Amino acid sequence: MKWNPQDIDMFLQSKEYVDTAVLPLLPVAISKDTKQAASMTEFISLLSMQLERQFRGRLLLLPGYSYIKTESIDKLLGDLKVWERELLENGFKHVLFLTSDSNWKAVENQLEGELIWMPSLPLVHMDEKNRNSLLEDQVKQLMNLFLQKWQSAD
Amino acid sequence: MSKNQVSRRQFLSYTLTGVGGFMAAGMLMPMVRFAVDPVLQAKAESDFIPTPQKVSEITEVPTRVDFKFEQQDAWYTSEVTGTAWVYLDDKGEIVALSPVCKHLGCVVDWNTDKANPDKFYCPCHGGLYTKDGTNVPGTPPVAPLDVYPYKEKDGFLYLGKAKPKKEA
Repeated sequence: MKWNPQDIDMFLQSKEYVDTAVLPLLPVAISKDTKQAASMTEFISLLSMQLERQFRGRLLLLPGYSYIKTESIDKLLGDLKVWERELLENGFKHVLFLTSDSNWKAVENQLEGELIWMPSLPLVHMDEKNRNSLLEDQVKQLMNLFLQKWQSAD
Repeated sequence: MSKNQVSRRQFLSYTLTGVGGFMAAGMLMPMVRFAVDPVLQAKAESDFIPTPQKVSEITEVPTRVDFKFEQQDAWYTSEVTGTAWVYLDDKGEIVALSPVCKHLGCVVDWNTDKANPDKFYCPCHGGLYTKDGTNVPGTPPVAPLDVYPYKEKDGFLYLGKAKPKKEA
């Protein structure tokens, strides 16, 4: 389910079925690595949208958490923990963070939710067909990850 | 000089009629065009969307068919990929089922749950559907999978808008 009124209506009605929250982590950087941050953001957004299409009945795709990439990781981690607490305390069993930014890898074990790091792919230079099939492959792998997580929890 | 000279009066009246006629036509044409426009509008190839699936290659095993169409979200038009599960039933007729689970809208897959072979399986909450799309009682879905109306054109399969399956 997406973060829009129609889907949220559905979510409120069938809360017991939705136990997974996905939060895309979207970096923004103006001073340096601007383009890299932009492509990470695009990649993760596309990926999470595809994922939502496949699993819309069980996961809630939150609007991305966008942050300034040059901010210290401790501060960002603190913010992310606020999200995490809010979600875990309100009925979500699985909280997954989706990112291409490797900075998060360093603090992964301080998070209760699971951090999924996917290297961002250079989608800019691809035509739409290649791009879609490539994304689809990535989404398939992600789906397996989700299925495993759900199976081990059920 | 010819005998029947055009008088000044005649010349002027011919010219005026001619020019006036053009002006009137110039004004009326767009109006007429507007009035009959709905009739002239090319019938948008109904609402059937072409798929890359050849009709002759459809088998009895449900196969995934992806097709593309334009979808409008408010002002934003995007190309969306739709999916259908297509197979031949016992009578040799084509069946195209929507992969959207009737429970909460996940995407179902054919024959992926080892405990329940030859069924459509929803990975989210374990919903099951038999091959003809009927929901298996005791699993979360409460309705059978939607069915796409289909057409055959130039050997390819065209799909319409998925409709809820009629009660048999």
